Formats: sequence, C-alpha cells, structure tokens
Amino acid sequence: MTARAVDLHEDIAEILLTEEQIATRVAELGARISADYQGRPLTLVSVLKGSLPFMADLMRAIDLPLRIDLMEVSSYGGATTESSGLVRILKDLSASIAGEDVLIVEDIIDTGLTLNYLIRYLRGKNPATLRICTLLDKPARRLVEIPVDYIGFEIPDQFVIGYGLDYGEVYRNLRFVGVLKPEVYGAAMEPGEAVEA
Amino acid sequence: MDSATPFAHASEAEMARILDFYEVRWEYEPHTFPILWNLDGAVVESFSPDFYLPDLDLYLEMTTLRQKLVRKKNRKLRRLRELYPSINIKLFYARDFRALMLKYGKLALVDGLSGSSGQVAAPYAAAGVLDDAEAEPDTRRAASPLAAATIGTGRRRRVRAAATTPSVEPEAPAR
Repeated sequence: MTARAVDLHEDIAEILLTEEQIATRVAELGARISADYQGRPLTLVSVLKGSLPFMADLMRAIDLPLRIDLMEVSSYGGATTESSGLVRILKDLSASIAGEDVLIVEDIIDTGLTLNYLIRYLRGKNPATLRICTLLDKPARRLVEIPVDYIGFEIPDQFVIGYGLDYGEVYRNLRFVGVLKPEVYGAAMEPGEAVEA
Repeated sequence: MDSATPFAHASEAEMARILDFYEVRWEYEPHTFPILWNLDGAVVESFSPDFYLPDLDLYLEMTTLRQKLVRKKNRKLRRLRELYPSINIKLFYARDFRALMLKYGKLALVDGLSGSSGQVAAPYAAAGVLDDAEAEPDTRRAASPLAAATIGTGRRRRVRAAATTPSVEPEAPAR
C-alpha cells in the first residue's frame, strides 16, 4: 500500500449508517437481549478490536447482570500469521465461561470464517448457551452459514469503516459507518452482477 | 497446505491457504458432476467444483474471470443446480476474491492475476500451479459414459485435517 495522507472524512464515499441510526438500533438490540434472557446473568464476549465501540454501547443498553470479556484472534494476512499459517488466539478469555450464558459480540460478519473458528473454540469451554450478536451482517460474502441471533443491520457488499471498523488500523474512531472511497485502497472494485451465495 | 496440490489457479491456492488458516477442511476437485449427455447417453459436459468443504457440506467454485466473461460458468452452475438440487454450492466471483484480498490486506496479489484469462501469478507458476483450467473450464469432461450414472471422483484429491486445539499466543494482530 502506498503511503498517503489519511483524511478521515474526505476518504469517505458515503455514510451508510449515521450515529443516530446506530444508537437507535443498539438500544433496540439491548432491549431485545434483556427481554430474551429475562434477568439471567449474561457474559458478553467482545472480539477485538472492531467490536469495541459496539460492545461499549450495547452493554449499557442491556438491563441484565452482565460480565464482559475480550478476545482477540489473528487475521489471515496479518504480520503475525506467517510463521504458523494457522489462526491463533491472541488474547483469550480471562475467566471461565463453563455453565454461563454467553453472547459473542461482533462488529461485522462477512465470510463467517473467523466466527466459525471462534464458535468451535468457545463451545469447547462448555458454556450453557452460546449466541451471536453482530452490528453488521454482510450476507453476500458468506462462506460459512452461521445462525446469527441478533443483527443490527444487513449491509450491502461494500467495504465499510468507522464505529470500530478499520482500514489499515485507521477510521475506527468515526462515529458513523461509512463506505471507503476505492481510491483509498488503490483498486476499484469491478462492477458486476450480484454475488450468488 | 500441501505444496504438491496442483491448483489450476493462483486464486485457488490462496483460498486453500485461507481455509487452512481458519482450520476449515477442504478437498480439491474431489467430485465431477456430469451435466450434459449426448443421444447415446455419453457425458459430453461435466462440472468439477474447485473445493468441497466436508464439514460444511459445501462446494466452492472460484472464478477470476471478469464478470462479463463468466456467463458460461453461470450457465453450468444453473445446470448443476437443476440436476443436483441437493448440492450446496457457492460461486466465488473475481470481485469476491478482490474483496477478500482487500479485507486481508493482500490486494497486491490480485494485481498478479489476469482478469481476462486468470493467468497464474509468477510466484505460483514457480510453485507448479497450472494455468489452463480457469481459461477453458469446459475442457473438463467425465472420462466415460459410466460417469453419467454416478458422481465421479476428481483426479486430484486430498483432505486437509483441521487442528483441534488453537494455539494461544499474545501478539498484536494486523488486519
């Protein structure tokens, strides 16, 4: 990637979800989750780094006795992936979830590969229940079909940033979810027919 | 990934690496599905999806051809779905592969692929990756009329075993 000056707002082609839309939807999700678990204690597991803003807002919208925990998983293509060639848990849970109701909090689900791995890993820790909540769902990119219990927004097949989502570790602090201009990442996506999935 | 697997295209080799990374078992072209017969009952056209993911019961067909050139492959896929409705198959277009590479910060790899014929990028050619199947997918044929009665077995078969216990390592990731 060629070095270029980052302009947080000039680099945005379109605002897909405003701060207000996100806040409204997060409140709705929080209310639904609170109703579904009916006062039972719940453990939220946030997948770093992208889900941090969503986690912070969602946990305050849930009216339940809550525990939170954080996990970090290496991503394909990252600097830490070359030696083993296998996904790695970079930060594991800090406490046992055996017998607990657990809700995975994701920023976005596209291929489902990372989530598929995480679910297998967390099931091995014997939670009582394991559900999934994602702010964004991009079904057009799905490879692994995973039932998702709580979805904030279903979004089109575009590269999005903001509200935790990054490109090159930048743009996470934007309060909205936006579409990045293709020239920012240096290659225009080829227009074509809808993805068969 | 077993470097001996003779992938037909660099994008397939990259997909195999991604599946390996996320510990998703895969087989490369394990099955050939007859999709067209002549009046004598001989198979004249067949379709061998690139990957089968046994744990997901999913076939994956990849193409790096430009969208306007994938009509033939779309037609074969429709035919496959008509004849074998229970098969779960996904077609991965060039734009899907680009998006995947963008997500993983490997967009430069796409530049090494021809968008029109799907030629092999230099690093893959050196590793023994083939160069013809993507450009002429219809050259794949079932070997005999016998294949018309059953789903064939691919000429290049392997299964990648998934590790059961992920390793734990405290390092910062790069997206």
